[in-house]
Amino acid sequence: MKDHTQTAMPPAESGAALITVQLEGAPREVAVGTTLAALMQALGHAPLAMSTAVNGDFVLRGQRDRHVLQAGDVVLFFQPIVGG
Amino acid sequence: MTQQLAQPAADPWTVDGVQLRSRFLLGTAGYPSPHTLRDAIAAADTQVVTVGLKRATAMPGEGGGDNGFMTIVREALVRQGARLLPNTAGCRTARDAITLAHMAREMYDTAWIKLEVVGDEHTLQPDPAELLVAAHALVRDGFVVWPYCTDDLVTCRRLLDVGCAVLMPWGAPIGSGQGLLNPWALRTLRERLPDATLIVDAGIGAPSHAALAMEMGFDAVLLNSAVAQARDPVRMATAFRHAVEAGRGGWQAGVMARQDFAVASTPVGGQPFLIGEVAR
Repeated sequence: MKDHTQTAMPPAESGAALITVQLEGAPREVAVGTTLAALMQALGHAPLAMSTAVNGDFVLRGQRDRHVLQAGDVVLFFQPIVGG
Repeated sequence: MTQQLAQPAADPWTVDGVQLRSRFLLGTAGYPSPHTLRDAIAAADTQVVTVGLKRATAMPGEGGGDNGFMTIVREALVRQGARLLPNTAGCRTARDAITLAHMAREMYDTAWIKLEVVGDEHTLQPDPAELLVAAHALVRDGFVVWPYCTDDLVTCRRLLDVGCAVLMPWGAPIGSGQGLLNPWALRTLRERLPDATLIVDAGIGAPSHAALAMEMGFDAVLLNSAVAQARDPVRMATAFRHAVEAGRGGWQAGVMARQDFAVASTPVGGQPFLIGEVAR
């Protein structure tokens, strides 16, 4: 199984301080100052393909690049599916 | 002499200022293949299809896709000029439903939301208290709210009071296919809320259930499993389309009053072979 902890991190400067957020139910380290938009990009999620929430609160697409993640944040991504 | 048969008059209905011709709303989940879904949407001639949102649990390219179902839905909508009705399926609180509704508005670019807030895990019965809180907030935020609710008259009134565009009472628990379990309650809704747009949602299993709902005067029906789980979903979608149209026609024409006893329909004026005799 692939280890997303190592491959899906946003780019961080060597020696940059790290924080831990909850992503898809698992802890993940990101560089201090990482925005939600940067995290999405690092994960390979197309901006238009998903909606986002942090700590249960909706984060508008246009606000992701200003939304700086904090230690302990719970980040969720939602995608379209069929439904009844 | 040939006589021109009268064609049924156009019978549109309106939600949020949008005029709709079809009274058959179709869910998109559980179909055996994307192509079956595409053909079922076409056969239903629907103008409103429901969709959802789910948490993305897989990384891109690692099985998190939907096998092309959503592509088919979007193509079908373009082809038929139909509209999306996103839902808040899976929500148990007003807060979750409000958040998901905002996500759906961004993702699907529509203010229409089928508001679902479940209060019981066994029956998946809507939670009236949470539903009302969520509906109020979402209407205030500019949504056109289609609440999935029970057939409780007072709850329905409250939902209208906070500005819901339509009401969608259940016929039976979601996916059960049991039909209209409480016809009295549904008839009461129609009688007591004559100006409301009422849609039976959930529990419909057979075309006859849809026809009955329409004969009661409901404005439309929304169903999913009855078509998706049929042996031939496309044929079933066609059957439901006809049933909805037939039921609507019955309501418009006026179903005759029920009688407790037989009433002879042929006006023979007595007993033809007993002239002059005493009937025995």
